[in-house]
Amino acid sequence: MSGAASSGLRADRATVRYGARVAVRSVSLEVTAGELLALAGPNGSGKSTLLRAMVGLVPLADGTISYDGRTVEVQPLRERARTIGWMPQEEEAGENVSLEQYVEYGRYAHIPPFSAAGAQDRRAVASALAAVDLSRFSDRGMRELSGGERQRARLARVLAQESPVLLLDEATSHLDMGHQLDILARVRSIARQEGRAVVLALHDINLAARFADRVAVLSRGHLVATGPPSEVLSSELFAEVWGVVAQLRRDPTSGLPYLVPELPRAARPSRRPGRSAARVHVVGGGGSASAILRRLSDDGFEVSAGVLHLFDSDTVVADELHVPTALEAPFAPLGADSRRRNGELLDTADAIVVAPFPVGPSNLANLHDLLPRVRRTPIALVAPPSGIPWDYADGAGTAAREALLLAGAESLPGVEAVEGWLRGCLLATVPDDGVPTTRANR
Amino acid sequence: MIGPTPRSVGTPPAHRLPRWVLAFLGFAAALAALVFLSPVFGSVRIPWHVVVAIVLHQVTGGAFPTAPCGSPSFLSLYFFESAVTREGTARLLSGLSTSYGARQCAIWTTIAWDARMPPLLLAVFAGAALGISGGALQGTFRNPLVDPYLLGLSTGAAVGAAVLFTFNLAPAQQAAALPLLAFCGGLVPGLVVYLAARGGGRSVETLLLTGVALNFLFSAILDLLLLYRPSSNINVNFWLLGGLGDASWTHDAIVLSALLLGGTAIGLYGRELNILQLGSDVAESVGVDARRVTRRIVLVTTVLTATAVAFTGVIGFVGLVSPHIARRFVGPDYRRVLPVVALVGAVFLTLSWDIAETVISPIVLPVGIPTAFVGAPFFLYLLYRRRGRAVGGPT
Repeated sequence: MSGAASSGLRADRATVRYGARVAVRSVSLEVTAGELLALAGPNGSGKSTLLRAMVGLVPLADGTISYDGRTVEVQPLRERARTIGWMPQEEEAGENVSLEQYVEYGRYAHIPPFSAAGAQDRRAVASALAAVDLSRFSDRGMRELSGGERQRARLARVLAQESPVLLLDEATSHLDMGHQLDILARVRSIARQEGRAVVLALHDINLAARFADRVAVLSRGHLVATGPPSEVLSSELFAEVWGVVAQLRRDPTSGLPYLVPELPRAARPSRRPGRSAARVHVVGGGGSASAILRRLSDDGFEVSAGVLHLFDSDTVVADELHVPTALEAPFAPLGADSRRRNGELLDTADAIVVAPFPVGPSNLANLHDLLPRVRRTPIALVAPPSGIPWDYADGAGTAAREALLLAGAESLPGVEAVEGWLRGCLLATVPDDGVPTTRANR
Repeated sequence: MIGPTPRSVGTPPAHRLPRWVLAFLGFAAALAALVFLSPVFGSVRIPWHVVVAIVLHQVTGGAFPTAPCGSPSFLSLYFFESAVTREGTARLLSGLSTSYGARQCAIWTTIAWDARMPPLLLAVFAGAALGISGGALQGTFRNPLVDPYLLGLSTGAAVGAAVLFTFNLAPAQQAAALPLLAFCGGLVPGLVVYLAARGGGRSVETLLLTGVALNFLFSAILDLLLLYRPSSNINVNFWLLGGLGDASWTHDAIVLSALLLGGTAIGLYGRELNILQLGSDVAESVGVDARRVTRRIVLVTTVLTATAVAFTGVIGFVGLVSPHIARRFVGPDYRRVLPVVALVGAVFLTLSWDIAETVISPIVLPVGIPTAFVGAPFFLYLLYRRRGRAVGGPT
């Protein structure tokens, strides 16, 4: 790849029309050697079309696409194939040729007409197979490979082209997560080590942020954002382009941004005036309540939580779900204020779920405060996972749990059972339209 | 594609000839045997050892023992014969040299060589031409159900050729003009099929039904042309179902030239045909000019088919069946399929011709009848097997 150091593929106001429909609208973009550019966007945003235009398979209605100053569209096919490799999202099954022969198809433009593959071609095929970890299957027939192996074979075919530009359309869409990460990591190291310019169409914005040097976001054929992932990714962009509400987070180890989508609003039962959804109070801590909070919130229950310590991961989830929460300072014993606040939430809840939180001297009060309320409100205790110690209060935690059970609280085997129990104990309060209501409206 | 493919596609052990070479040699040997032995059959039966002698004598330009039969120097025949029948040995001992008179020999030579050999070779060359056309078309359209006949190429070519006969345009130069006119006739369906296939996203069914419609249309035109001059000396069956009886050495030479030129031209596209199986987009992205390859192959197969049809009439199914047999033996690699499919087509049509000549002798059937008897059920088999497959096969 010598001489490719400063070269790149450049789209200049590229526009593609399919009949009257404009699939790509005046997109200007550049990818340089050694760089991995992720092309993100929802289905139908023009990612595949832009890649096809970049490899010269779709004529441009306007603008140019060039590599090293040469216009791609008018390049002779063989020369173009030595410059740009393209891996389509789907491809015809083809014949049951051996994997090795299949990958050798990528060498077509390197082999002179009417000649057989030479030593250099065989080397390129071998190293492409090694790059996708398929060397040991080189004699296998293509039909005998699994879906994931076939996708890696297709990547190998494109790598064997030894082109300074790689256009990969959803290169990992048929792979499980392990192989997905593995292949993307390999593609990135190939881009770095061999100085290839890589454009990767990905609909998974988080994968794009994780692996790409730059992200370009397409929406309905427009280029709406381009830049490093940390600059481009935002909740607003996600809402605007994907129509999905998401929280922007940062991976604590890498510092890379990622988006956590919320379920679409339509999935939640709507509230009517004069009647609010049944409220469930969740007692938790130490991350034990996160899953319960999320599930109940997704299922349309109104949820409250307490007493949680600040910066506890349960607190982060509760905050994100906008759940009313009784809070206490980190690691502090539960104080009077937080217990009072929690008591209010407990007294107005239609049901109480106790997460299997680890009990220590500082939060033992969370269990003790439940005892006076067992007779008034249905309470369920989710059993702690067996084999993992949870009582750090010298048996006081176990004693409190047993007292609650004796007083009539329900014991649930796991998080999965919570919803069923809630539906059961709130049955009388669930009207025909299926939305649980509060006692106040009964 | 359809068609059983060998489980293992790896390279064979070094000490053995590759499978496809064995298949090639096997079919070549079968074809040679057919050419040597087919003149035995017909309204007059000729002893097979005499036929072999006559063919050897003619092929070697007389270097083989001068008199084709009755010569005492038939050493090789002695071994053939004695190895097979005791009667033959007895006959040899009783004096082979005197058993067949010179006049009988001359008659047999005339029948076996002058009368039976030209149609036989036409079957060989036309079969090869149709076989390689079918193989190339199936590869180009990524579709195991097409052949020159089903796409309407054959019937179109027959219409072109029939024009010459019905209008008595150039009786003197018929042999030369026929293929040209047939080619012009074949170009029409060739072009339609090319455009139909290029449209992208079209299904196999569209392509096949286009061929069926063209076939009906051209059959009607052909009927019209043939009825236009009912008095003229035209054998309708010859055109509609194929016939080899009118063949001459000139015809053989013309078809052979077309086969050598066209077959070589197609054979050079083995690698491109392999890559085309991945779809024309992928093919173009690795540097194959898919459109040019398709255009050229349709053009060359039209030439091959038209040349064959000009002298044999419409023979169906040779181009459909042969590639499947070839693939069964050599796997999916078109670099190997193309040479072998030519041999398979030649063997298929030669066998069909033998059947057509002998099955209700002395009446000679149109050769398209035996090929259809084999080919049509095979087509249905392919069609229903294809339907049964949930995944795979490009459409």
